[in-house]
Amino acid sequence: MHVHHSVLCITPPHMLNQIIRNGTDEQRNLAQRTLLDSQAMRARRDTLRQRLASTLPVQVGAGKNRVVYDAQQGSQLPGVKIRGEGEQPSEDPAVNEAYDGCGSTYDLFFFAFNRDSIDNKGLKLISTVHYQQGYDNAFWDGEQMVYGDGDEDLPITQRLFNRFTKSLDVIGHELTHGVTQHEANLAYTNQPGALNESMSDVFGSLVKQHQRKQLADQADWVIGEGLFTSNVNGVGIRSLKAPGTAYNDSILGKDPQPAHMKDYVNTVEDNGGVHINSGIPNHAFYVVARELGGFAWEKAGRIWYKTLTEKLNANSSFADTANLTYQAAAELFGAGSLEQKAVKTGWAEVGITLAEEVANNEGCFSSVMRSLGLRS
Amino acid sequence: MRIMFEQTGGLMGRKTSLNVELDSLPDAQARALRLLLNQAGFNLPDLPPADDSVRDQFHYKLQVESGAYTQSVQTGDTSMPDALRPLIEELTRLARSQQST
Repeated sequence: MHVHHSVLCITPPHMLNQIIRNGTDEQRNLAQRTLLDSQAMRARRDTLRQRLASTLPVQVGAGKNRVVYDAQQGSQLPGVKIRGEGEQPSEDPAVNEAYDGCGSTYDLFFFAFNRDSIDNKGLKLISTVHYQQGYDNAFWDGEQMVYGDGDEDLPITQRLFNRFTKSLDVIGHELTHGVTQHEANLAYTNQPGALNESMSDVFGSLVKQHQRKQLADQADWVIGEGLFTSNVNGVGIRSLKAPGTAYNDSILGKDPQPAHMKDYVNTVEDNGGVHINSGIPNHAFYVVARELGGFAWEKAGRIWYKTLTEKLNANSSFADTANLTYQAAAELFGAGSLEQKAVKTGWAEVGITLAEEVANNEGCFSSVMRSLGLRS
Repeated sequence: MRIMFEQTGGLMGRKTSLNVELDSLPDAQARALRLLLNQAGFNLPDLPPADDSVRDQFHYKLQVESGAYTQSVQTGDTSMPDALRPLIEELTRLARSQQST
């Protein structure tokens, strides 16, 4: 009797191939049968994917290769190796957070975009925790992630930041800098720099949403959730949903991010405000996801991923990105599709007009002028 | 002797600064800073770091004025010379402590 294995029938072919390569005999047989079954039940995709994930904790995403080191409050990288791929959890929560966060980030890129790690070739994901003392930051050094412990060296009443591994979206943010480096390699200054930062915020937020299986309207759209101590009046360091509202604090000041081109900040600090003006493309993405509903990584995320990996270059501007996401939406979902219209709405809400519209408007203007005999 | 210190960039893109006259500090703290300044010997070009592939690191600007003598340096987390690091870390700690008080 033919048994219809619903767990696998909605699974995309790349995942089935992965299971065939890495699964147990039973899983392999199931995946092979499913590949032959053309009656995929796409409507039940999410339920089935969750079940698949629960049945294949190790085999799926077997390209994952994580290593976490401890800088022991010094600056030498990578430091002392604490936990490698598949090894037992450490007693140190920062180590486990970095390890698990890398796993969640790998999973988003693998399951949603069929990407095998940062370089799409299974690159080892290296993290170092406990970097320096009182280090209020996390960064990507071109080869690995580095995390500080926040204000652990100050009296509790003076602490503003917790350890940076506490925030899954921050881990996703840093790893996405690696993806961008291997793809569009957006220059780290002015608009390309703000786009570089925005890509990290967008996919950082998607990592968290994917891990929590949240719909777009259920997500917090905050970067740096859990980063602030209770001494700070704020929910995180940035908000894609409402840039400029993530914090308003007596010590940290107010979130300076704009959500619209009319408020673009011209500055020489921070490489031309790369962490400030990223609010504009961040909000455009949020609006697209809001318009489309459902899981943000399935439509808006795919449009942005295709744009990052196939269309942008090192010097792309916000306007370039708007036009290229519009093009990517047409290629993925069709010209005139709801998805493409949502992209147009997203950029319009942040004050960016697509080139197509500019051309159309200019065309109208020219024809009117011509009809009036004022222009040839 | 006056020290002007700025930390910018980072994941948050925030500026933290410190502007301190050494003589205004408690003796022990001033002595410790003078020692770190002597150890640092920061004869480096006053240029921003060019770590092309590093993202979200902190950048630091440091200027020391003593009479007619002024010296300044710019550096980043990943490009900082080892001799300069204890001074930068101490100034960062002081700047963070002062902002919270």
